[in-house]
Amino acid sequence: MNVLSCSINTLKGLYDISGVEVGQHFYWQIGGFQVHAQVLITSWVVIAILLGSATLAVRNPQTIPTDGQNFFEYVLEFIRDVSKTQIGEEYGSWVPFIGTMFLFIFVSNWSGALLPWKIIQLPHGELAAPTNDINTTVALALLTSVAYFYAGLTKKGLGYFGKYIQPTPILLPINILEDFTKPLSLSFRLFGNILADELVVVVLVSLVPSIVPIPVMFLGLFTSGIQALIFATLAAAYIGESMEGHH
Amino acid sequence: MKNVTDSFVSLGHWPSAGGFGFNTDILATNPINLSVVLGVLIFFGKGVLSDLLDNRKQRILNTIRNSEELREGAIEQLEKARARLRKVEMEADQYRVNGYSEIEREKLNLINSTYNTLEQLENYKNETIHFEQQRAINQVRQRVLQQALQGALGTINSCLNKELHLRTISANIGMFGSMKEIRNN
Repeated sequence: MNVLSCSINTLKGLYDISGVEVGQHFYWQIGGFQVHAQVLITSWVVIAILLGSATLAVRNPQTIPTDGQNFFEYVLEFIRDVSKTQIGEEYGSWVPFIGTMFLFIFVSNWSGALLPWKIIQLPHGELAAPTNDINTTVALALLTSVAYFYAGLTKKGLGYFGKYIQPTPILLPINILEDFTKPLSLSFRLFGNILADELVVVVLVSLVPSIVPIPVMFLGLFTSGIQALIFATLAAAYIGESMEGHH
Repeated sequence: MKNVTDSFVSLGHWPSAGGFGFNTDILATNPINLSVVLGVLIFFGKGVLSDLLDNRKQRILNTIRNSEELREGAIEQLEKARARLRKVEMEADQYRVNGYSEIEREKLNLINSTYNTLEQLENYKNETIHFEQQRAINQVRQRVLQQALQGALGTINSCLNKELHLRTISANIGMFGSMKEIRNN
């Protein structure tokens, strides 16, 4: 009996330690707004990683690149290739945007999966990838929406709105609906993937802490990388589609 | 055992009272799995990544070397072409200088020979004229002589009659007689 109550207490204690908290965030008050501080903190860490490594790598550019410079040049070539394939000829000015999307999402996903965030404990909520918050992903998706609208309007002026009745005017409601579903699908795809992977890993860890979560963690790394690539490619594809020439 | 788990639990409970802190529960923070994942990632990823980056570096090196070699080749060819140009220019200059003097000489030679030929022809002309002149004068003399002789003959023939013949003979006899007298004396 003693052993039973003791084990129940232990289990409860374990539950209190390794409880999975979803939805309870760590709030800061800025002005009249409640800000999700844990997302901000992890975002700052991701930004620091990106900016720091970039400035370190391009400090002393050589003609024959050294390791860091070579790696970053390779990444840049990859992003350029993605933009060029999707946007076409005028891809040059959009490479920074696509590159930022890709690198931010990629590094935040992988930092959420690889860095031991749970060592730092917050009063409420916990630190994890910044993209597991719907606000982050919706912000990124809305930025992409604004970007492709801007691209279409600067290229074609008000004639951009003529694309709503291509190829036939019957498809007008569907084309208008598309403008809403594009950011919706982008944000939810990314959010769902990242949060779900994180939850699966946390649940598996709380059940069988030692070896079993490892394959799932690898799967998580793989899918989060793919999701970053998909987000960037789709953003480029939307921009390219709205800048398409006259039929 | 309860004490151990109690202290274990209390360690985990302490920061969730509302402040920050470090979670040292290794079961929740998952460092073993993370380190395994990181280790495998770095182990395999390093190989793949360094391969990719080495390939890229080699490609860049080769491109640079190729373009350097092409540049060297082009510079060499430029130098060769320039040297040929200089040589040809010098030869052209020489030809020009030599050629002009030769042209002058040829010109003079031609002029001289033409002059000589002209002189010779002039001489021939003069001789021929002289010769013709002489011939004409001779012809005229001959004619004149012929005319004179013919006239004389005609005159004689017309003046020759018996009386003149008698007088001439008597003159001659008289002359022969006087000559004989002179010779006898």
